[in-house]
Amino acid sequence: MGLSSYVEMCGLAPSRVLSALRYVAGGWDSSTVRLLPTGKVQVVTGTAPHGQGHETSWSMIVADKLGVDPEDVEVLHSDTSVAPHGMDTYGSRSLSVGGTAVWLATEKVIDKAKLIAAHQLEVAAEDLDYASGTFSVKGSPDRTMAIGAVAFEAFTAHNLPDGLEPNLEATSHFDPPNFVFPFGTHVCVVEVDEETGKVEVLKYVAVDDCGTQINPMIIEGQVHGGIVQGAAQALYEEAIYDDDGNLITSTLVDYLVPSAADFPSMTTDTTVTPSPTNPMGVKGIGEAGTIAAAPAVMNAIIDALSPFGVADIDMPATPERVWNAINGAHTGEPSARSNGTEAAR
Amino acid sequence: MIPAQFEYRRAATAEEAVRLLSELGDDAKVLAGGHSLVPLMKLRLARPEVLVDISRLPDLSYVRGDDGDIAIGALTRHHDLARSDLLARELPLMAAAAGQIGDPQIRHRGTIGGSIAHGDPASDLAGVVLALDGTLVLQGPDGRRRVAGRQFFTGFMETVMAPNELLVEIRVPRPTATGWSFQKFNRRAHDWAIVGVAAVALGDGKAGVALINMAQTPIRAAGTEEALAGGASAADAAEHASDGIEPRVDINASRQFRRHLATVLVRRALEEAGV
Repeated sequence: MGLSSYVEMCGLAPSRVLSALRYVAGGWDSSTVRLLPTGKVQVVTGTAPHGQGHETSWSMIVADKLGVDPEDVEVLHSDTSVAPHGMDTYGSRSLSVGGTAVWLATEKVIDKAKLIAAHQLEVAAEDLDYASGTFSVKGSPDRTMAIGAVAFEAFTAHNLPDGLEPNLEATSHFDPPNFVFPFGTHVCVVEVDEETGKVEVLKYVAVDDCGTQINPMIIEGQVHGGIVQGAAQALYEEAIYDDDGNLITSTLVDYLVPSAADFPSMTTDTTVTPSPTNPMGVKGIGEAGTIAAAPAVMNAIIDALSPFGVADIDMPATPERVWNAINGAHTGEPSARSNGTEAAR
Repeated sequence: MIPAQFEYRRAATAEEAVRLLSELGDDAKVLAGGHSLVPLMKLRLARPEVLVDISRLPDLSYVRGDDGDIAIGALTRHHDLARSDLLARELPLMAAAAGQIGDPQIRHRGTIGGSIAHGDPASDLAGVVLALDGTLVLQGPDGRRRVAGRQFFTGFMETVMAPNELLVEIRVPRPTATGWSFQKFNRRAHDWAIVGVAAVALGDGKAGVALINMAQTPIRAAGTEEALAGGASAADAAEHASDGIEPRVDINASRQFRRHLATVLVRRALEEAGV
């Protein structure tokens, strides 16, 4: 059995810290939230999703805060002609930095909408409540104005407060005051075939804390993928070069990326400890599995081999390396270094 | 990952395929399921000028009893072998091996004839045919001939087949004993075996044992078979699994480790087969 506990420092990053670390770029991210006269919402994000589900999560943030249907929120990204300002998607930063910018820009839009609604309802802004997409006058709940109607009024600009610009659109550039610190513990159970050195993962349990959760299904998907990627580092993936420097693991036949058939069903759970460094209390989850899984798997292998006095095995723990470790042997490693037959297949 | 340019011809009959192969000579390769050849073409390790597609030839996909043999058409897909009632009853070794090839997509495309004719030492079905003392039926311009499985493989991806011959049928004698085992050692579920063992009990403590991906061709474990015939126990006979064999070396196993794996897997196979 192998155990791995971690605290991750992610959500890159306060720009001043990056400056001290001699990064060229800053660590802010930005978003523009735009209500169209149709009542639909456009969200421009500086993050660059490539499988992390930002379209889903960002529309949930905006829909929840604005009180509209997530179906009515369109997330635009990744094209510099549409989203010129952003610092990208890496380092488990997209939600805690870019998602926070979305949240803040939405708040600015609501603040402006409130001025327009107050003007048209002929009350002071502080006398308005906002819930479920509708402004209502405190104490007179039948006097209301829906956000879509405010958006249309902002577009026609026929009756806006003096000095207020037309349209409902706001931009936020969020520079985080600190990193965020997700943490977790993973436990892995393996069985090692003493005769062949083959390692089989029997059970894997992961408990992670990424703070406030926007979309638990996406979080679980991120954890699943991360765990298998981390386990693959421990068991499968290796770049091997021959004596002349040629990469001989240049295809997915030789560079072993595992499939669903190679890993058992995982048990995942979470605790929720909101981050104090952003208004939603969110942290990152993209790297949780990759951080925890490799040591959890390797610790389990070492634990299983402790009766043989084995204290260390290089990753990936291939059958031959494990067999060598058990037998105190050195077969010189799997060495196709002078042999191209695998590639010739 | 894009093959070099090639021409494509589709044969309507086995005779037409043989005629095309005779005309085209070494420039042509036969395409059946394409799951061995096409990856090689994508890596440009194979650059045939012409592909002769036999995948739609009628009447070459079957598993049937034929006198004392079980006859299998060369275009029978791995999936159909794995699901064959006749094989499940009489040749479960073949069905089990076919069911472990690659993944479901591969098993629905790949054919037994293609797997064997390709001559890959890692072909599971080639190992099974060797262990079962099977025979391969080749069709050429002058008709059909039969070659024993043991004589079929001549080198790494080389067989006795002439460029204008087509593998049309695989014949395996109906086993007289019931014990069998298929051992496939790999790192990922859908990979080729690093070492595989196909074993069938023959009675009187004897067994047919073939090694997969151990040598330059699929090969009988002659040392083990002889030791068993001489009365050795399964464990003792397994120690001779790689006698006379120079194991292949690749990124998955050194020569020494492959030898060790062969011994372990042959012992397990013999034990499971009840030898």
